[in-house]
Amino acid sequence: MTTTYYPRVVRGPRILPYLAGATAIVGAIALFMALVWAPADAVQGDVQRIMYVHVPAAWLAYLAFVVVFLASVAWLWGRSPIADAIAVASAEIGVLFTALAIVLGSIWAKPTWGVWWTWEPRLITTAVMLAMYVGYLLLRSLSSDFERRATRAAVVGAIAVLNVPVVHLSVTWMNALHQLPSVLRPGPPALDGRMYATLLVAVAAFTLLYAYLLVARVGLERARRSAP
Amino acid sequence: MRLRRAWLVAERDLRAERAQPDGIAAAIGLTATLVFVESLLVGPAIAAASPAIASALLWIALTLGAILAITRSFDRELEDDALEGVLALPGGADALYAGKVLAATLLLAVVSAAGIALTVLLLDIEVGLPAHLALVTLVGAVALPPLITLYVAISLRLRARALVVPLLAVPALVPQLIAASAGSAAAIQGDAAGSLAWCALLFATALASAVAGLTIGPAAIE
Repeated sequence: MTTTYYPRVVRGPRILPYLAGATAIVGAIALFMALVWAPADAVQGDVQRIMYVHVPAAWLAYLAFVVVFLASVAWLWGRSPIADAIAVASAEIGVLFTALAIVLGSIWAKPTWGVWWTWEPRLITTAVMLAMYVGYLLLRSLSSDFERRATRAAVVGAIAVLNVPVVHLSVTWMNALHQLPSVLRPGPPALDGRMYATLLVAVAAFTLLYAYLLVARVGLERARRSAP
Repeated sequence: MRLRRAWLVAERDLRAERAQPDGIAAAIGLTATLVFVESLLVGPAIAAASPAIASALLWIALTLGAILAITRSFDRELEDDALEGVLALPGGADALYAGKVLAATLLLAVVSAAGIALTVLLLDIEVGLPAHLALVTLVGAVALPPLITLYVAISLRLRARALVVPLLAVPALVPQLIAASAGSAAAIQGDAAGSLAWCALLFATALASAVAGLTIGPAAIE
């Protein structure tokens, strides 16, 4: 009998299966709460349930770009390769979930507002944020020199985070069709108790998914760099 | 001492621009072309009825003009192999970044004045508060260069620079562009309070981008 040995970077970190399990369990609970336990919205009906994936996707986008910022500052400070690996991993996840938040928002907007897309501050600032991080990833792809690529990307990653508060607060700064923040706002959440609990569990599930994807992607990045 | 070095870089840039004014000529040329096209597409009737359109198009034109002028300024460094010499000096990267921003601000003030004059004349716009419009333009000229200089600096050695700089800079300048456009439109309409409020926001974005640029900009210059 022969045993194939894979280095740890190829197999992935030990925590990965636990993160996958936790994501699956909390995700299943969130799905049950969102589809069965939480009441339908009095005005919007079942369409409102899309909030349980739209809001966590937007939250993940914020989280991912804040992590890009922290990792970028860490790179500029100490030139640690792991900081750069975290930055690129988080940026890719952030782009994916920003796009997902826009698509899910569009699906919700069609029956609610009557249009797939409208020129509205939250939508435009989110699209601009997506463009910035697509530019960030494009910038990374244009250079093969590791040190230069990481420094250039870190500068952009450190600046681009300014978009996160702009996106979040755009609905309070300008006349907006999009509803005002329901959870991240001064005062108690403007939601029914069961809806709020469901939303929190969904956010937890998405955050675990983010952690899983981040750890897996950082592992891949390290494997790629250590490859001969 | 640092300020003195930055001023020396800015002075050198301005002298180079005076000797061979291709950066400012390109910036004014592009801005003027866009204003001409705008006057053709929109026309005085719509522009006079909605100063927001004229202001927004003007600031987009000025942003593209500023990108051209700043890119040209760094190109000159590369052509003359002057970059390594400046960077070798103590505090060279800080002085280079700050000096480039300073020179670009002065150049952009001139380009903005030309762009506004053309917009007002060609679109036959009656400006309600000329002093307020001048103030918004001046603060706008301070607000745009820090981030544009930063993005030009980080893409200095990239072959795809022409693609990367606008793609990165324009989304990053959205707050500045909103404040500058809205402030200019308010000044044209004679809304003093609105113009000053937008001007204050523009100043805040100028300050934030200058601090961010000065903090991490020098690290980006290769």
